[in-house]
Amino acid sequence: MEVTLFIHAADDAFRILENAKAQAVGLLDTATRLTSDTRWMEEKKVKSILKGAEETRSGFQNFVATFVMLMGFWALLSGKFDAFHITLGVICSLIVAYLGHDLLFANVRVGDGRVIAQRFLYYIPWLLREIVTANFHVAYLALSPEMPIDPQIITFRTKLESDISWVTLANSITLTPGTITMDIEDREFMVHALDRKVADDLDTGEMEDRVAHIFMEADHIYIQDVLDVSRIFTELKRGM
Amino acid sequence: MVASSDDIIIKTIARILVPFIQIYALYVIMHGHYSPGGGFQGGVILGASLALLLITHGYAEVRKRVPEGVVILLGSLGVLIYAGIGLICLLLGGNYLDYSQLSVILNVDPAHARSLGILGVELGVGFTVMAIMYSIFFDISTGGVLSEDQKHEEKLEGKK
Repeated sequence: MEVTLFIHAADDAFRILENAKAQAVGLLDTATRLTSDTRWMEEKKVKSILKGAEETRSGFQNFVATFVMLMGFWALLSGKFDAFHITLGVICSLIVAYLGHDLLFANVRVGDGRVIAQRFLYYIPWLLREIVTANFHVAYLALSPEMPIDPQIITFRTKLESDISWVTLANSITLTPGTITMDIEDREFMVHALDRKVADDLDTGEMEDRVAHIFMEADHIYIQDVLDVSRIFTELKRGM
Repeated sequence: MVASSDDIIIKTIARILVPFIQIYALYVIMHGHYSPGGGFQGGVILGASLALLLITHGYAEVRKRVPEGVVILLGSLGVLIYAGIGLICLLLGGNYLDYSQLSVILNVDPAHARSLGILGVELGVGFTVMAIMYSIFFDISTGGVLSEDQKHEEKLEGKK
């Protein structure tokens, strides 16, 4: 009797194991299929990114980009769209773009321009929200009778790499009420903070991370975009 | 001698702003006969953009973009354009700077010729004002020592 029970139990255990194995194999298959489906896409992306990280844009590309931007600015100012004024605008934009093609877009990597512009647009609402919340905090500090301020200067070393990202971070810090960037020297930021709380907010490094994300610097070099793991994970979950 | 600024923020912002200031200056010059502005104002803005570049990026960087010879040439060219248009009007039988006489050369009606003539004169004024504004600033900041002078002196000292 005991023996048959034991055999039954062993059978059950074996079946469960078999099921688990089949499931695991199925999952792995799905994963492999997904990877091979998306591989060529990802490979292309990685290749273009590696190329982009290597070479900055050539002078001619910068010239064309500068020309387009200046022509847009001209159209905004002028508001006259007859042939004569458009021609004047083209000539003027060509001259200025020729003289200053390395000013407007210094150190822009190939293929980064559009991504940076898009991410910068997404950054602005977040920054506005930060400014509003910090505004309330500073108003509270100023209006409370004992005025609990605790002015201090904090320094931190940034992981950002280019001048444009330093400037974006520095101006974001200055725009946020309660903190002012005093100096940048050798990647060392010197920031004046009004009290402990705003200093701590800055120390979390969220702003720096977001700026790094815009300009694809430090550890934000496309990692999230190259290996878009979330898609594979949702597929795996559906398989379970 | 003006050296390059140490402040990264000022340098970067100036680098981004200068092309836009320049296109704005050219817009002011080119639309001088329609809207407020004109050759003088536009020329001053153009000169100011170069002065900004000189303050932030230093003497060597600006001299690479706009050599002194070109500045002096532009200043003279502006005067030549202004005086030339005036003289052409005089030669065509009108008064000095009587733009309507230009309609014979430009093959348009007198009113249009006036407009184009004014644009040409504005352009001349703009060139000259830009060059002179810039060279005044340049001379003050370098103490009046041009790079050609320095090279010449160095050569003389080398001979000794």
